[in-house]
Amino acid sequence: MSVRVSEAGLIELYGRCGVEDAEALQRHLLAAPGATVEWSGCERLHASVLQVLLVGEPRVQGQPTAEFLRKHVAPIIGRSTKQPGQHATDARDHRYAPRTNR
Amino acid sequence: MDELLTQFLIESRELVDKAGEDLLALEKAHDAKRFEDAFRAFHTLKGGAGIVEFGAMQEALHCAEDALAAARAESRPVSALEIGNCLACLDQVAEWLATIEQSGAIPQNADAGDIVALFARGAATPSTAGAAPSAAADAWVDTLLGAHSDTASEAQTAVRYTPAADCFFRHEDPLALIAGLPGLLAVDVEPRSPWPTLADLDPFSCNLTITALLATSSVEVAAALGGESGRAEIEAVAGRALPLDAESLASAAAEILEAQLRLLDSADTAFQQGRVASVGLVAANVLRYVGRSLESDNVATAAAMAIAEGRVAPLVQAIAAALNAAPPEGVAETGRRKEAAQTIRVAAERIDALVRLTGELIVAKNSLGHSVKLAEAEDSDLAVALKNQHAALERLVTELQRAVVGMRVLPLRVAFRRFPRLIRELSAELDKSATLAISGEDTEADKTIVEAIVEPLVHLLRNALDHGVEDGATRAAAGKPAMATIRLRAAREGEHVVIEVADDGAGIDVAAVRRAASERSLKPREAIAAMSDEEALDLIFMPGFSTAKTVTHLSGRGVGMDAVRTAVARLGGAVAIRTTVGQGTAVRVTLPFSVLVTQVMTVEAGGQLFGIPLDAVVETLRVEKERIFPVGAAHAIVLRDRTIPLVRLADVLGNRAKDRADDSGPIVIAQLDGQLGAVQVESIGERMEIILKPLDGLLSGMPGLAGSALLGDGGVLLVLDLAEVVQ
Repeated sequence: MSVRVSEAGLIELYGRCGVEDAEALQRHLLAAPGATVEWSGCERLHASVLQVLLVGEPRVQGQPTAEFLRKHVAPIIGRSTKQPGQHATDARDHRYAPRTNR
Repeated sequence: MDELLTQFLIESRELVDKAGEDLLALEKAHDAKRFEDAFRAFHTLKGGAGIVEFGAMQEALHCAEDALAAARAESRPVSALEIGNCLACLDQVAEWLATIEQSGAIPQNADAGDIVALFARGAATPSTAGAAPSAAADAWVDTLLGAHSDTASEAQTAVRYTPAADCFFRHEDPLALIAGLPGLLAVDVEPRSPWPTLADLDPFSCNLTITALLATSSVEVAAALGGESGRAEIEAVAGRALPLDAESLASAAAEILEAQLRLLDSADTAFQQGRVASVGLVAANVLRYVGRSLESDNVATAAAMAIAEGRVAPLVQAIAAALNAAPPEGVAETGRRKEAAQTIRVAAERIDALVRLTGELIVAKNSLGHSVKLAEAEDSDLAVALKNQHAALERLVTELQRAVVGMRVLPLRVAFRRFPRLIRELSAELDKSATLAISGEDTEADKTIVEAIVEPLVHLLRNALDHGVEDGATRAAAGKPAMATIRLRAAREGEHVVIEVADDGAGIDVAAVRRAASERSLKPREAIAAMSDEEALDLIFMPGFSTAKTVTHLSGRGVGMDAVRTAVARLGGAVAIRTTVGQGTAVRVTLPFSVLVTQVMTVEAGGQLFGIPLDAVVETLRVEKERIFPVGAAHAIVLRDRTIPLVRLADVLGNRAKDRADDSGPIVIAQLDGQLGAVQVESIGERMEIILKPLDGLLSGMPGLAGSALLGDGGVLLVLDLAEVVQ
């Protein structure tokens, strides 16, 4: 399992997020609509997890070090969560302004 | 680059384009003709690869051909997967062709492994051809390129991958697969069917379509996708320029041009030739690159003028004009335009039309010459003016003629290129080792000649190896090297092109030729016995002659040297043979350089004017009546100890004018198929260049006539076929 909820209510994706994390993430997002997902520690993101992120459209913050995620997946998440009235206000600000919250 | 490779590149590019078009059309709807066209294109491509000995390309195309052949054998439409694979194969070929163009050589490290693997996979898994994609099937490519314009210029390949819905159960990660693709530039994801709400989302069902841009070839991409390539659309995007691309190209070009202008500005004080030259070059190249070749040429000309005049103004004006002019429409096609600027391919019939028109123009010019002569008789100022203008016209027409002839000229290498292979294959088949030594392949000749000479030469080469070259044991006994040498030589001799095929074999046994000719009753026995060795040797050119003891699949089937002579004669050429027993045989083919104009000599016989092709004429002479003596029913003369049969042209043509029936007319000695013949005429006129037209209509059946030509005064000149006349 590479998904957990921090004390601050932040949903964290870390390490290698596999197919088994998709359902967990979905559960967390359903339980706490409006929660922010922090993925700086994410090393790998399974397509199924990406699918949940794209549908759940949570606010996503942080910048993973893995090049593929940073360069190619982050923009996809950024674009798709740029929906009006949703939790993510501006996709860009959370992509390029990572915060440290641990 | 090697002429053969250049030709190969041009042809292969066309075939790749053609095959691609056909495949794409097939993808939309099955069409038997399109299928056959595509099949043929692949086949021809493969053949071409074989000629230039490009093994990897041959191998790759062979796979594609196999796949298409399989579809044909099962009489089913080609599946989308097969089409994709074939297209990937074409992409790889196109890439190789580009490498050849850049390096001028066949890539040594080319490897068809990926393509072979691609087809192997396609063959192993049953085709998953879905519904034919819509007409705008690759609109996604444009969308993708548009969304990632920053990397689009590097992109070679676009992929749209739709993983199976249940792939998550199989522990597959489509995203990881994409992440692992080489040269990844950009990735996009979209839902295959509209997203449900988060609560309704089945996290174990994949609803993704992933598109990606890559800086690697479609073949590499397909290979990296492995078994999943069947679920992916792979499109080559190299060369697919975006409007944005073109705009930025144009603006970059404009910037460079402006910079060149500034350079010139600073050079104005002291004229610097080097700077002007380099500015001119840069500006011309920039314009050519963006597809404005006309302006590019203008700038180049202006630069030359500027240097000649020692001032920058002409170049400044030309560059400024190019800068101010709106770029032409469709700048997006710069790549293609760039190529087009270097060579244009013109349909052969257009060139032929030009040749025909030039011929007409020459006739018109000649008739003007006739008018000038008439005017001169009047001795007026007008005549002088006419004469000058006629001279100018003559010069121009001659230049035009040379240019037109030059357009149709090809080096003989084009014809010779397939012969080394031919000899290699033949020597394996006949179990004789031989090499082909080619020289003079740069010699140029008219396209018609170069194309038509291939078949006669194939005959001659086969003969040389089959009949000329001895078997290994005989060669060893004669102390000759085991490896026979067949020489193929070409050279330009005046208005002629001479091609010689010589072997170092046993030579021809003239006695055997006489025997064979007698046995086959080609000529009366006595006539054959009376022939000189040279004349007897010429018998091998007669129809029905063959001395081959065994009929091989190569030669000895009765289509031998007579076919060669007929084919060469049709081109207006001649064949001669010489042989030395024990040392070899050489066959010499003499061909006209150009088929546009024929030089003739006019002669009069029976009160009528005829033309005799000048290449047959050896000499003209007068002899006393007494030196013409009867031989049976015919006549002959003795010239330099040789007896030459003589005919009177008027007799042959059956219109001898009684009043001029003296025997003292000049005699034309002509070389006819290796023998001399004498033709007595009443007078000899001028030499002229004519456009020989084959006879048609009522005259077409007339024996002894080669064709007709229009004369300057509007009359018709009948041109004789002396070989038929003398017979």
